[in-house]
Amino acid sequence: MKRTLSALALAMGLAMAPMMSQATTAADIKSFTLDNGMKIMVLEDASIPNANMYLFWKVGSRNEAPGITGISHFFEHMMFNGSKKYGPKMFDRTMEAAGGANNAYTTENLTVYTDWFPASGLETIFDLEADRIANLDINADMVESERGVVTSERSTGLENSNIRVLMEELKGVAFRAHPYSWPVIGHESDIAAWTLNDLVQYHKTYYAPNNAVVVIAGDVKLAEVKSLANKYFAPIPAQAPPREVKTVEPLQKGERRTFIHKPSASTPNVMMAYHVPATSHEDYYALELLAGILSAGNSSRLYQSMVDSQLALEADTYFPMSFDPNLFYLYAVGAPGVKADALEQELIAQTNRIAAEGVTEQELEKIKNIKLMDFYRAMETINGKANTLGTYELFFGSFDKLFNAPEAYNKVSTADIQRVAQTYLKRANRSVAVLSAEEEMDK
Amino acid sequence: MMQYKPLLIVAALALAGCTATQDVKRTQEPAAAAFQLPAYEKVTLDNGLTVFLMQQKEVPLITVNAVVRAGAVNDTSAGISALTAEGLMLGSAGKSKRDIENQVDFLGASLSAEAGKEGSYISAKFMAKDLDTMLPLFADVLLRPDFDATEFDKLKQREVGGLIQAKESPRAVVGNYFGKLVYGEHPYGNASGGNSESVAALTQQQVRAFYKGFYQPNNTSISVVGDFDVADMKTHLSRTFGAWRSDAAPQQQSLKQGLPVLEKSRVLLVDKPDAMETTFLIGGMGISEDNPDAVGLTVVNTILGGRFTSWLNDELRVNAGLTYGARSGFASYRDSGLFQISTFTKTDTTEAAIDLALKTYARLWEQGIDQATLDSAKAYVKGQFPPKFETSGQLAGLLSDMYLYGFDNSYINDFERKVDSLTLEETQRLINTYFPKDKLQFVLIGNAAKVAPIAAKYGEVTQVNIKDVGFGG
Repeated sequence: MKRTLSALALAMGLAMAPMMSQATTAADIKSFTLDNGMKIMVLEDASIPNANMYLFWKVGSRNEAPGITGISHFFEHMMFNGSKKYGPKMFDRTMEAAGGANNAYTTENLTVYTDWFPASGLETIFDLEADRIANLDINADMVESERGVVTSERSTGLENSNIRVLMEELKGVAFRAHPYSWPVIGHESDIAAWTLNDLVQYHKTYYAPNNAVVVIAGDVKLAEVKSLANKYFAPIPAQAPPREVKTVEPLQKGERRTFIHKPSASTPNVMMAYHVPATSHEDYYALELLAGILSAGNSSRLYQSMVDSQLALEADTYFPMSFDPNLFYLYAVGAPGVKADALEQELIAQTNRIAAEGVTEQELEKIKNIKLMDFYRAMETINGKANTLGTYELFFGSFDKLFNAPEAYNKVSTADIQRVAQTYLKRANRSVAVLSAEEEMDK
Repeated sequence: MMQYKPLLIVAALALAGCTATQDVKRTQEPAAAAFQLPAYEKVTLDNGLTVFLMQQKEVPLITVNAVVRAGAVNDTSAGISALTAEGLMLGSAGKSKRDIENQVDFLGASLSAEAGKEGSYISAKFMAKDLDTMLPLFADVLLRPDFDATEFDKLKQREVGGLIQAKESPRAVVGNYFGKLVYGEHPYGNASGGNSESVAALTQQQVRAFYKGFYQPNNTSISVVGDFDVADMKTHLSRTFGAWRSDAAPQQQSLKQGLPVLEKSRVLLVDKPDAMETTFLIGGMGISEDNPDAVGLTVVNTILGGRFTSWLNDELRVNAGLTYGARSGFASYRDSGLFQISTFTKTDTTEAAIDLALKTYARLWEQGIDQATLDSAKAYVKGQFPPKFETSGQLAGLLSDMYLYGFDNSYINDFERKVDSLTLEETQRLINTYFPKDKLQFVLIGNAAKVAPIAAKYGEVTQVNIKDVGFGG
């Protein structure tokens, strides 16, 4: 029997579907914290005979400094390369032999490890994770071959994606002080340069149980998870908390620009970004809805004004969750024959229009429905559940905040959306990146 | 839509075998009960329309998928199946494209259409409470498209732009070049979506004729999965689709005819002068969808290139640091299929990566598979199987595939049994029967000035520029 998640849906509370009458309680999600500070959340769901474990570590490129840019991501790779009990290659081999698969990803704020396995493999997963958290053994040969892997990852991203190229350049322009300035994958020369000692220190500092949040969702029982967590994770000692990131990006006082000449580009691409507050700020919800009004679906403002009008092949926004104040991105790929300037001017016109005229009640209701649907989609899978819980825990301070989301979204008015557009989407706060085959001409 | 993905470390790669002598301990036995497909009903309406219904109540959502047996293999002009499918979204039953988009988005729903190699897919996902709005809208799009002239021209321009733009990403197009190289003039060589010149020349009349020829109830199935009452839904579907009539039998040619015989190794070198890396595929003929050995081949391919610890990924990525990922796989169609090894590496290490891929591939014949590796791969494919059929969208997609390729639920329900019964001897038979051992076909996309000198080592070279229209051949 699948459990229904109407309770959680209500908690998200973007809208109330008529069939949802269950009152929600925080009891849907079980959580406990070990003595070493590791917080563990459990969501029982027996819909398929599988489970997952998501481990969120509070370390990302924001914790780096010039000289070791990209080390968080590189380190993520090293977490698969051998520890005391399970030597090089044995983490993956053991997990796969037990029917499990894994992945991991690094962002500006977090490093997240994801294990997917048949529920019968739960103890194996605990054993594997505990071993690499407590006793990582960084092997010098593995470090060298992994440099090649990450260099390949970096270049294949740039080779296949203009978005990747634009974003890397744009961040460098928009931030001159904060570590969000460099790409998560790091500068090429840094990838070649960090030392074994840098990596050892990184593990000791950030891979401490008190710096992690763990979510387990699937065909498991709370009691079993608790007993395994006590057996495998509880003995790992806590460490002194890592140094806080204290750099505050200085106020931007005027538009900044960057240009990328790419002769093989078939049409121009434009990306722009505006400084916005951290996810914990009260304006987060209004900005999130604004992003949706601009770009969610074919009825969205950017699609209608740019794609439907044949100016662009694609137009979109990107608004990542973030611990520190970060960026609100807009992006467009030109249609054949369209000049970069026309793309840029239309993106600006659309943001200015919202600042000047606001949005309609209908658009607001539409985007709230889209958000509710997004939530249901996430809740269709045990992975979506684990990811949503972990995300709320980290970016909103506690997964309980899931239960404040209804109010938070419903409180956003058309006036709020206009206000955040006026406050943040303004020229002095803007950075623009253009990628084109045509050099910009001196006027 | 721009999907910005964080940096994935382990790529969407996946499988692997330890050929070393280390004994992988099985700390857990797999669960006793095999994964079974949830209950569903299959109904054929009087007009020949096949309908699948499967109730899933976890979230208050419904997915409706239609699949029409028409795809790139049916293209009379390159790209017509794709333009017809996308053309369904340009307005129907008097509602404009914009009206439909507004209505769908306002409900938070999605509605889209696209064509693949052998099927055209129309898919909707919406909240259960919106059934009475979304099902009629879905039917309008499928049964009563207007193919509005102005919107048609705009769509065509966007498609042409997209086809040109796709050439900027080797990863996005390398498969099309490979299909063309292997199949040549056979319909399986047709790229879904056509090419920038052929699409530019398509007319509204051609699209209407293609629609009329293939979009018929006896050539279509509709799968509904999600939160609904089955009896009610049957009534809804009969009322909505029962009056749809077939004009004539769709013209389906047998694709078993004229399949290529690969007589020599060939290399298609696609020049992208500013490439930093070489993106390449190596392979040949594979298997058709109905091949009884497909499950066993999934296990063997898992060992070769289907998981993170696979031979290919282990050698090229983990041991050599030549690439971020290397994999292999079978792409199966109704009457044929491909096998391919795929990876990428920086320009300077092109030769080293190709040689290592070939050397690793040869292990299938030179060393074969050992029991520990086979056991691990079996556990892996069984463990990773259920999450493929978790959402209403995944399940509706599976039901659509059942119709398109003519298999039934035994594919799911017997999967674990088939995996379990695979023996070491059997893997050797599968390797010798199905994996192309020689006369391999290569597509290399990269900087030809640097790569051409080594390309000739692997077969007869043909060189094209990536900006040339189409996909070689």
